[in-house]
Amino acid sequence: MPQQRFPKIEILSIRPHHIQFILSETDTSMANAIRRIMIAEVPTLAIDLVEYAENSSVLNDEYIAHRLGLIPIRYVPEGSMRGGDCHTAFLPHRECVCYDRCPRCSVEFELDVDFDKVNMTRPDQERDLPLTVTSRDLISNNILVAPAHFLNEEEQDEAHDEGISIVKLGPGQHLKLKAIARMGISKEHAKWCPVAVATYRFWPIITINDEACQMLTMEQKQELVEACPDRILELDEITGNLVAVENAYEMATYTEDLKVAQDAMKKRPEDDDFVKVEPSTDRFVFSVETTGAMDAEEILFSALRVLKDRMNYLAAEVEKLKD
Amino acid sequence: MNAPERSACFLLDDDEEKVEYSVDTKVSNAGTFTFNKEDHTVANLLRMQLLRDPAVKFAGYMHPHPLVAPVEVLSAAIEDLSNETDHLITQVTDAIDKWKKENDQVGLGM
Repeated sequence: MPQQRFPKIEILSIRPHHIQFILSETDTSMANAIRRIMIAEVPTLAIDLVEYAENSSVLNDEYIAHRLGLIPIRYVPEGSMRGGDCHTAFLPHRECVCYDRCPRCSVEFELDVDFDKVNMTRPDQERDLPLTVTSRDLISNNILVAPAHFLNEEEQDEAHDEGISIVKLGPGQHLKLKAIARMGISKEHAKWCPVAVATYRFWPIITINDEACQMLTMEQKQELVEACPDRILELDEITGNLVAVENAYEMATYTEDLKVAQDAMKKRPEDDDFVKVEPSTDRFVFSVETTGAMDAEEILFSALRVLKDRMNYLAAEVEKLKD
Repeated sequence: MNAPERSACFLLDDDEEKVEYSVDTKVSNAGTFTFNKEDHTVANLLRMQLLRDPAVKFAGYMHPHPLVAPVEVLSAAIEDLSNETDHLITQVTDAIDKWKKENDQVGLGM
């Protein structure tokens, strides 16, 4: 109780597949724990078992199974439009009491594409060209679950296919399989990872010593502005002073160039710095980008839930030790 | 052939407990907690929280390569972290709602 921290969150932007926020007043260990959990321990659905009835395509069974496993599977709870947290609706397969599989722990997808059958329905100019089997051909037995074909409309407009391409078929080739998707975490296999990118950077604390800057000429100030490869300083047009750029937090890389340039300009080595850039120890800028399986804010909620459940579990286990 | 199952890195074995404790014989008021099947995610978090408690003189953790007293303080640290996570969850919910309200008024849906 006495040592609890009260962290603050400030959202910079939310899009369905990307969220950026600032986490402050907490330690790097908390920021790192959230990052690690978002990457490794948020449960999602992915195809785990594939039963083949027919495969005469150019790729062998395990190759296609590997590709199927990497397709992001999206669970949309009733009444919502967003890719949600699947742990409320599904059980991990190893904890389920069913014999082999059931709707509570798995989702079945069927895929049946026969080149010759499809060829007959195609327009003349496309006839006999290779046919791409995509994620659109995976038909789920649970209406709330479907593969995430595209991240957003932009990607859909630019794509050649209607979904994620799995394999291309030629004349006489037939692919028929049943794929079973289960819930899991990325620690077991990267196919269950809900994020493409989950990173955080430190917030830069930029202190500009205006008094000392008065003694610099315009050329010297310009030299300082150009010394930083990340361009976090600029010259204010009206006053001619050095100021930090507005989106400095996105660009700061904390290199030594600025320090070296300043040391050359100081009259004595022990003088104060003109500009100091330091990474903050308790303010972090997070950027999380998803694969399409869940929405970005859902991933954040799920990560925090996993962390809370883990803490509760450990608390209970440590209580047992007290006896 | 010898490779263990991937799930073995986070699922407890049948004969393993999650937390084990042994008192340190050489130093007074010291002990070693062994958390089975955990990694840096939780270990670093607990270590930093323990160091914030003024009653704690030393806290560190080791994560050995896979191929070779103190109980009350730990409970307090875990409880603080759990509360901090709860607080964070409410903060996130509020911040997202607030941002949505502000931005949905600007242009309907995006």
